[in-house]
Amino acid sequence: MMDVRTEFPLPDTSWEPIREFWAGAAREELVFPRCDSCGRICWYPRERCRSCDGQSFTWASVSGRGTLFSWVVVTHPFLPQFADLVPFAPALVALEEDPRVRLATRMVECDLDALEFEMPVRVTFRPLAFAGVDGGVLAPLFVPA
Amino acid sequence: MMAAAAGTDRDWGWATEYENVGGEVAICGVGESDHSKASGRTTREIVGQAVERALTDAGLEPTDVDGLMYIGMPDQLDVAGFHEYFGTNHDMWESKGGGGMTHAAAAPYEVAHALRDGKASVVLNTFGVAWATQRSQMVGGPGESHAQELFKQNLEIPMGWFPQPVYFATVARRHMHEFGTTQEQLGAIAVAQRRNANHTPSAVMHDKTLTMEQYLASPTIVAPFRKEDCCLISDGGGAVLMTSTERARDMAKSLIEVAGVGLGNSSTGTHWAQQPAFTSTPQVFAAPVAFDMAGVTHADIDLYTCYDPFTIHTLMQLEDSGFCAKGEGGAFVEGDRLNFDSGKLPTNTHGGLLSHAYVLGIAHVVEVVRQLRGEAAAQVPGAEIGIYGGYTGPQAATLILRRARR
Repeated sequence: MMDVRTEFPLPDTSWEPIREFWAGAAREELVFPRCDSCGRICWYPRERCRSCDGQSFTWASVSGRGTLFSWVVVTHPFLPQFADLVPFAPALVALEEDPRVRLATRMVECDLDALEFEMPVRVTFRPLAFAGVDGGVLAPLFVPA
Repeated sequence: MMAAAAGTDRDWGWATEYENVGGEVAICGVGESDHSKASGRTTREIVGQAVERALTDAGLEPTDVDGLMYIGMPDQLDVAGFHEYFGTNHDMWESKGGGGMTHAAAAPYEVAHALRDGKASVVLNTFGVAWATQRSQMVGGPGESHAQELFKQNLEIPMGWFPQPVYFATVARRHMHEFGTTQEQLGAIAVAQRRNANHTPSAVMHDKTLTMEQYLASPTIVAPFRKEDCCLISDGGGAVLMTSTERARDMAKSLIEVAGVGLGNSSTGTHWAQQPAFTSTPQVFAAPVAFDMAGVTHADIDLYTCYDPFTIHTLMQLEDSGFCAKGEGGAFVEGDRLNFDSGKLPTNTHGGLLSHAYVLGIAHVVEVVRQLRGEAAAQVPGAEIGIYGGYTGPQAATLILRRARR
């Protein structure tokens, strides 16, 4: 369709700014860049810290716990690669360590009608695979805690 | 309610510093192409038709236009394209700060400076798309540029948090949680804008009515959104001619002046997942600048239009522009308030992106100008001051237009 990589919609896990994120996911760890000066998680990765302007970051793991900030239930797949998944629930999860950080993810293995705002959730690592696309990637998805 | 603080968090963006240009620029000609579903037309044909109509409207010749604004998207009308279409070859000032969205609102600010600096005397801003025609090839369209953005491509899309209907249904659901906004209140926007379109012959949805019962019975595509919460995909375009108020005073049409303009910015750009004030738009920053410049209050506004890719955007921008308090948008849009003939705050009086045409806001500016001239199809009686709120996500702009005395 568009001028993007052939493995789309799988992520390019080698893209430098988020390479550590996907490397962490591959070993079932949820990792984020923390500012070396003030400790704030800076997400998405950026050159300077949002809080203190610090310029160096260290990727560190978090608990994988958080709360459900918002979600939707997709019944019309906008990308053909997601057609097999409907209905599915893309979601934003606020991290326990810093609720200002919201991870775009998906609620899985649960009753989509029973999702509630601020409900405790926890990470689970599941392979992403799409029909017609070679390869797969282990991704941090979420289930009710 | 609990998260009201997030909606009033002021440190997530800023207003661009603007000099006072109120009253310097006039809109002296407007035109729209035919709006349609897939039509087989090219973007160039569409924009050319809109420009021809704007020139006729203003009583100007192609050679009178010495400034051109557009956006750096495929197939937009640049100087070479203008000359090819009209068979001209004169010098033209050009800027890629034009087009639809936020830019259709903020363009007059740049025009004011071009006029002051003598770079141009008549500036044309255009935008057009053939996205309905191109849809079958899955090129172009609103999702494409987002799919190219690498953080989205590598963090959001793989999870399924894509494209725009998914982002903004997530915003709408959160707005419901924070403020008690209801499905019926989103529906009230879709129904009112459709009714306005039903009174506007140029609207793509002119012949298709929508009741609240029909809205609620429509299946969700990305809950809580139904397809009626989402903009059309259509072929069409618009053109806006601007000059000095001094020159416009001698032209045939009513003098429509740019009374105020403001531009707001979000520090998180198109990464909505990380926007601290998740249920707000940068109109929070833009609107006060424009109101100050124009020297008007909300009670003075006869009609409001805004970039409305989804129902929630009309609701949020009404709040963020100060027509009601944050969180009260749901109650505000209930009843007949948004109808062109309500005598209250007629909103997106042509139907907007939801029901008129998805030409990214340029037709909203055309509509406001026609309303203030008294030429609109769904005319607001006696309208003198109107607004276009432009939006891209990373930015929003407020444009206040006023019918001036000669």
